[in-house]
Amino acid sequence: MSLLQIDNLNVAFTSYGIRTHVLKDVSLKVGEGQRVALIGETGSGKSVTSKAVLNTLPRNAKVESGSILWRGEDLTTKSDGAREALKGVEMSVVMQDPLSSFNPVFTIGRHLDDVLYWADRRKGTSRGKAGRAAHIRDVLRRVQLADPDRVMGAYPMQLSGGMRQRVLIALALMNRPKLLIADEPGTALDVTTQDEILKLLNALVAEEGLSLLMITHNLGVVRMTADDVYVMRKGEIVEHGPLERIFKTPETDYARELIEAIPPLYGPGVKDQPVAAQQDGALVKLENVDKVFVENRLLRPALRTHAVKKVDLEIGKGEIFGLAGESGSGKTTVARMVMGIMRPSSGRVIIDGKPLDEAFDGRVDRRLAQIVYQNPGTSLNPKRTVGQTLEVPLRFSDTPRGELKARTESLLDRVGLAPHYVSRYPHELSGGQKQRVAIARSLAANPRLIVLDEPTSALDVSVQKRVIALLEELREELGLTYLFISHDLSLMRNFCSRIAIMLRGEIVEQGRPAEVFANPVHPYTRALISAIPVISEAEEAAKPAVSQEEKQKFLVSSAA
Amino acid sequence: MSVLTDHGDQTVVLSARRMAWLRFLSNPVAIIGALMVLSVLFCVAFAPWIAPYPTHAGGIVDFANRHQPPSVDHVMGTDKVGRDIFTRVIYGFRISLLLIVGVLGVAVPVGAALGLAAGYFGGRTEFLITGFTNVMLAIPPLVMALAVGNVLNPNLITAMFAIALLWWTWHARLIYRVAKSVAAEDYIEAARLAGASHWHILTKEILPNCIAVISVKSTLDAAFIILFGATLSFLGLGVRPPTPDLGSMVADGRQFLPEMWWGVLAPALGIFYATLGFNLLGDGLRDMFDVEV
Repeated sequence: MSLLQIDNLNVAFTSYGIRTHVLKDVSLKVGEGQRVALIGETGSGKSVTSKAVLNTLPRNAKVESGSILWRGEDLTTKSDGAREALKGVEMSVVMQDPLSSFNPVFTIGRHLDDVLYWADRRKGTSRGKAGRAAHIRDVLRRVQLADPDRVMGAYPMQLSGGMRQRVLIALALMNRPKLLIADEPGTALDVTTQDEILKLLNALVAEEGLSLLMITHNLGVVRMTADDVYVMRKGEIVEHGPLERIFKTPETDYARELIEAIPPLYGPGVKDQPVAAQQDGALVKLENVDKVFVENRLLRPALRTHAVKKVDLEIGKGEIFGLAGESGSGKTTVARMVMGIMRPSSGRVIIDGKPLDEAFDGRVDRRLAQIVYQNPGTSLNPKRTVGQTLEVPLRFSDTPRGELKARTESLLDRVGLAPHYVSRYPHELSGGQKQRVAIARSLAANPRLIVLDEPTSALDVSVQKRVIALLEELREELGLTYLFISHDLSLMRNFCSRIAIMLRGEIVEQGRPAEVFANPVHPYTRALISAIPVISEAEEAAKPAVSQEEKQKFLVSSAA
Repeated sequence: MSVLTDHGDQTVVLSARRMAWLRFLSNPVAIIGALMVLSVLFCVAFAPWIAPYPTHAGGIVDFANRHQPPSVDHVMGTDKVGRDIFTRVIYGFRISLLLIVGVLGVAVPVGAALGLAAGYFGGRTEFLITGFTNVMLAIPPLVMALAVGNVLNPNLITAMFAIALLWWTWHARLIYRVAKSVAAEDYIEAARLAGASHWHILTKEILPNCIAVISVKSTLDAAFIILFGATLSFLGLGVRPPTPDLGSMVADGRQFLPEMWWGVLAPALGIFYATLGFNLLGDGLRDMFDVEV
């Protein structure tokens, strides 16, 4: 008998009389000690499935038919109270966002103590405050937090993202559940931290004999943490099978495209971008650039943050220059200085032979450089149509009024959108379409350099593939130069003609991707590459070796 | 054909406008508020046809019929000179609405302009505008209105001026807050990098994002302005007789309490009805646009 078995589950949402069928005949099984992954892209219904199991669906959702069997008993017919009693005790969930899962005014110890207190009450046992604290300390040690007392006394803000994620796992493990449901664990964290979290989950599952239901969109994560895989699309399970089989010989087109959309890190599928001929010098040149943020504080010395330290770099015409690094490494600060939105504290930024500080207003000429932002949801004005958004750069670069319409349509055509999109508002577009509009806007002023600030990190991997293809095509046709900011090294391996790795404001390594990935010199680069979740054993084997000491030296440990 | 695509095959997305409309329609209290406000507007527009004695809106005297209790002829009774109170309440709505339009007509543009400028430009502009607004907020509005009313002739225009003189501060504050958060969005930076002028950004990029809050705030304001205007005319600083005004009608009727209770109750009910209507509608709009005011 399976621990959890879902049979032909149908769930529909009704809002204002409009019914949306969200889960269509979903069936899946999680056996005792089994690791199962549910994968799918945005809106595929994977999170709704986990909510249906946990009975945390929103009020306007309804289980229309089907059953959820827990050790053979149907949960859908049970009372809310009976299902509540299972939560935390029999099954637990590890939440996705480590910060918003905590109440900022309570200490970590208080959060954990509360959960334990109520769980004890439900079970009718009591062990007193000291007993609970001892148990909490024990659980925190199990998630490899070395100093439980410090963690318990800390407020959520005082812990790093990785530590908070560990606490969330501890929270889920508190009452020794049988099933752990992990909803995109570590997605919000840097790859190196995510790697640690996934290893921890694996270790816990093995040691404590847990079953794991992993909900994720990241196939690399799936390879690390699952034996059995369900692929979901638009509320339906389209494919199911053992991990090996699905990854090697996917049966459905959807699964195949999903797997093919992942940029390979090593192996024959890797693409090498042609190196641009550097005939007439660099388009962008940073000379010894420093950036210090100073925060003046009352009655205390000012807080100084050295965000960028002595950065030298050159981007040749026609290059796709990748700037990689984890959050807080200073890569976005560099991009903003190139755009002239921010001025360096010292050093010079030279664009097309002209130092920026001599330019008008300190800003880069908009006909020279434009930017595409990370989140297309916030880079388009919700109150303006696509046409209105695209007209702004055109109007302010003296396009005659009569030509506006034709130019707008040709921009849309360039990014692969039909002309009727001019009258759409951003909320009527999908994420990929919004990013296409943002790219079209950046093209409107005919720039030569486009700064791409993580342009695909908010998109699904299949959509990412298309947007990247579009960017490659545009570079080819328009002779553009890109400065590509990202933390996604496998994408950069394939997309960039040169990359630089940033660590705490400094560039630690730069070169052609093929060389950097084949033979990373700096230990941080090695640690970074080895932490990337990949989708095949061959790639895993090709990763550079990294010793434990090296890791500890450069990565912020989440275990302390 | 490719299975994965970011074109076309998205699930049906309800447009934000349609969602907002559905939210409004599924809120019975908001609908009641809207109907109440509509009925007031209807009375205002068609007062001469609805009112049973349109001439009674002026300075007519009919001593034979003075202090009549509510009856079929006079549903709300008559006042001290024999005029039909129902007629005068309906015409009183006209004055109230005129006051609302006048006050908001000044307060909203002034508040919006200052709030937008403070929120977008920041720095010294922000400091000066928010500082000035806070100073103005510290002045008690009633005292200010009394002072203005005493210096100038008490009439409708003066009352409007006295109220508007301080009313813009609330709009300035609210729009400052919204504009400041909108100004930090990526799309504003993108517009600036695209070469857009400050004027374009203020009026075409930020202002449209403030329309929802402005309309909710203005609707809720309407209720307060009716009350404030009534208070002023009750104190003898608003509209002068014989113009029918709800506040001065209450003041007039007060002398004949408790025997001629309808003289106070009828205009008071008028104030109550219009105020409640605008408040319910404002709350409904707030839920509909999902904004904080």
